[in-house]
Amino acid sequence: MLIVAADRLIAILTLLDKRKRTGREEGRLCAVAAEVTEQSGAGIALLSQGGELTSVCASNKVAQRLMDLEITVGEGPCVDASRSFGAIEEVELLSSASSRWLAYSSSAGSAGARAVFGFPLCIGAICLGALSLYRDRPGPLTDAQASDAYLMASVVARAVLAMQAGAPRDMIADELVREATFDFAVHQAAGMVSVQGTMSVGDALVALRAHAFTTDCTSSALALRIVARDICLDPETREWRDTALHSS
Amino acid sequence: MARETLLISTLVELADNLVDDFDVIDLLTVLSDRCVEAIDVDAAGVMLASPGGELQFVASSSESMRVLELFQIQADEGPCVDCFKDGGVIVNQALEVPDARWPRFTPRAIAHGFRSVHCLPMRLRGRTIGALNLFRTEQGLLDQDDVVVAQGLADVATIAILQHRTSLDARLLNDQLSHALNSRIIIEQAKGNVSQSTSCDVDQAFRRLRMHARNHNLRLTDVARSIVDGTLDANRLDQVVGAKSS
Repeated sequence: MLIVAADRLIAILTLLDKRKRTGREEGRLCAVAAEVTEQSGAGIALLSQGGELTSVCASNKVAQRLMDLEITVGEGPCVDASRSFGAIEEVELLSSASSRWLAYSSSAGSAGARAVFGFPLCIGAICLGALSLYRDRPGPLTDAQASDAYLMASVVARAVLAMQAGAPRDMIADELVREATFDFAVHQAAGMVSVQGTMSVGDALVALRAHAFTTDCTSSALALRIVARDICLDPETREWRDTALHSS
Repeated sequence: MARETLLISTLVELADNLVDDFDVIDLLTVLSDRCVEAIDVDAAGVMLASPGGELQFVASSSESMRVLELFQIQADEGPCVDCFKDGGVIVNQALEVPDARWPRFTPRAIAHGFRSVHCLPMRLRGRTIGALNLFRTEQGLLDQDDVVVAQGLADVATIAILQHRTSLDARLLNDQLSHALNSRIIIEQAKGNVSQSTSCDVDQAFRRLRMHARNHNLRLTDVARSIVDGTLDANRLDQVVGAKSS
């Protein structure tokens, strides 16, 4: 666990735990994102293999409408955040000076949002999608809210990765504590596996994570073995092959 | 080279870097290298705090796994965490076991041959954004001049994070920090790719990425991203000439 951010991370995980019985994991993440950042609502959109954004969840009806609108018109905070790998803010959608999104801004305003924010879900060169927040009043996020939004985006990215790797839903909170955000060996290993399996680094990271789950070890421990060339992904069979015994 | 000469040339080198559209990881790596040359320390590195408050390694004078591990542990505990939390300078901290304060960090640091550690905060108008971490293979006191020089270099690193923006606004700073931290992850992904594609170790992979970026006047992060997204083949990276390059 990361000591510096520990109290906020614990707050997020506690909220996630409290909502454990209320529906799908993704819905839980959205509800907690809105609550922890003190915004009116939140949504998560993920990028498909083909690079299309898909709405995954929203914390309420307005957030859902905003997400649907963004997917339909192809512009908005999630689109910009996932393309730029940077945070996006629009503090007054109804301002005439706000011309960032021609189609999105006014419709989002009519739907009940005055300010919207987008945070990319990125892990190095991998972009999984974006977390969006909206508020029914104009104005920027406070420093504390922005800090929590970044932390929440990091939690959502890790949770999405865990889900894509097939982690059992009730274990995701434990995984968030167990897995560090930055583990150089994991990222190096993902780069290596992407070459071994001729796949994107995102798919390689999911494959690594999934294998760690099924063999009940941490990603970090598996990654160190990959970097040491004790195990690799077979390019033909796409299965993991132990090379420790045969290596010279 | 006399230290004064070395310092002046370091400052000129950093200033040169700051003018252009520079790569923050490359610059912080240069800074870490120069710390080792200008001060009586054996390894140096920079950790930055994400806008969400998570401490992460970004650059070091050594890309060896053993040194990276010491920075990685410090996401949780160690001199950087303490320095970051209270913004205070930590100098001449002898490493001895057992160490109740840093039970994970200290034994690993000793196992890797380090005997003392120093940590200087990177502060920007009241906000601590990270720390410069220095390791020595010996105990004994660091010269007071060395501490001043190190803090000066830490301050230069801090300014570098902001790049050429003149005004400090929290949102821009958050952008720069998360950009720098994510760049480091891209570089690790690229190191793995290059290491696998060209059958070299990960340190060598880093040197090749950096050499290629410098030779072609490209940003290190852009080269790394091109490797990861497949637009640049790792086998086409420039070869590193000689055994070691900084």
